[in-house]
Amino acid sequence: MLVRQILLAIFGLSGGIIVSAGLFSLIVEIGVISDFADRTHTAEHINLYEDCTVLGAVVGNLVFLFRWQIPFGEVLLPIFGLLSGVFVGCWAMGLAEMLNVFPIFIRRIKIVKYTTAFVISVAIGRGIGALVYFAKGW
Amino acid sequence: MAASKETLYIKGDRNVEVTKPDVTLGDILSMECSNKEIIPKVSVLKLMKIPQQGEHRYVVSILKIIACIHEQYPSIDVQNIGETDIIVTYENQKTKSKAWHVLKTALVSVLVFVGAAFSIMTFNNDVDVPDLFTQVYQFATGEKSDGFTILEVSYSVGITLGILTFFNHIGKKRFTVDPTPLEVQMRTYENEIQTALIETASRKGEELDVGKTNPSSNLRP
Repeated sequence: MLVRQILLAIFGLSGGIIVSAGLFSLIVEIGVISDFADRTHTAEHINLYEDCTVLGAVVGNLVFLFRWQIPFGEVLLPIFGLLSGVFVGCWAMGLAEMLNVFPIFIRRIKIVKYTTAFVISVAIGRGIGALVYFAKGW
Repeated sequence: MAASKETLYIKGDRNVEVTKPDVTLGDILSMECSNKEIIPKVSVLKLMKIPQQGEHRYVVSILKIIACIHEQYPSIDVQNIGETDIIVTYENQKTKSKAWHVLKTALVSVLVFVGAAFSIMTFNNDVDVPDLFTQVYQFATGEKSDGFTILEVSYSVGITLGILTFFNHIGKKRFTVDPTPLEVQMRTYENEIQTALIETASRKGEELDVGKTNPSSNLRP
């Protein structure tokens, strides 16, 4: 019995290590956090941002797995929603940037001016898309 | 200045920030010359004058700088051992208020905290970690899992260990002397921005280069 528990512990531990390393190297490589630091000109606090990332991952995982009850839900919920939306929005565009979606499109359809229009339509499109998705309960 | 052929070595960073509108060569270059009298003379040479208001950014070709030196001291042999294009950024005020800076930092901290929490939850949800753990638990022990077993606990510990190892530090305590992944990413990002700035300026013909006598006519506001 104890052996099995130990084996399970090794399984869980290794899984956690690999998952977190993989997921967060993806986040760093996509450049979401360095984007935030660059936009706000606070690159000197990059180590603090790393600490917050670590903390967020740990707490988020605990909340998810152990169904923690969090007080002040009504207040925190909209904040959580907004911020995670910002994060995912930057993530998605960071991914698009990394995969050179924009340069390829702009080159193919040969439009050099008005690229801001694309950016705005992508942003609005994403927002409406998310709204429809949730409203329809898909 | 004697007619002797002195060699002046100049080296500039790719990205220079200046706070006063009169930019001299000494502001953006470091220099070395066997004739020590030359360095202070060249240092005070004026490269350009930036309009007072707001933020300005220029890309200066090293040729422009060499031309600027040769204009006054034609006999100096200038050797550039630094960058060939230099970004000069002018900011009128040194810093905005400290409170604003702290506020921004706090905001990004909360943002990445929530973002990290959100990502790990979406990941767990996406691959259905709880369900998998139930199955693994049942496979290993033959008993039904109650959702709070050694697996979930060790997984949570593993998440913490993995990400700490990845980021290479807790608070100010570092595990190795290497820069952290975010520091590396930050520098990579800044490098890409600088390259983009230089290439954009050169493509639009906005770079301050030789053959353009009046720099203020091709300055970007």
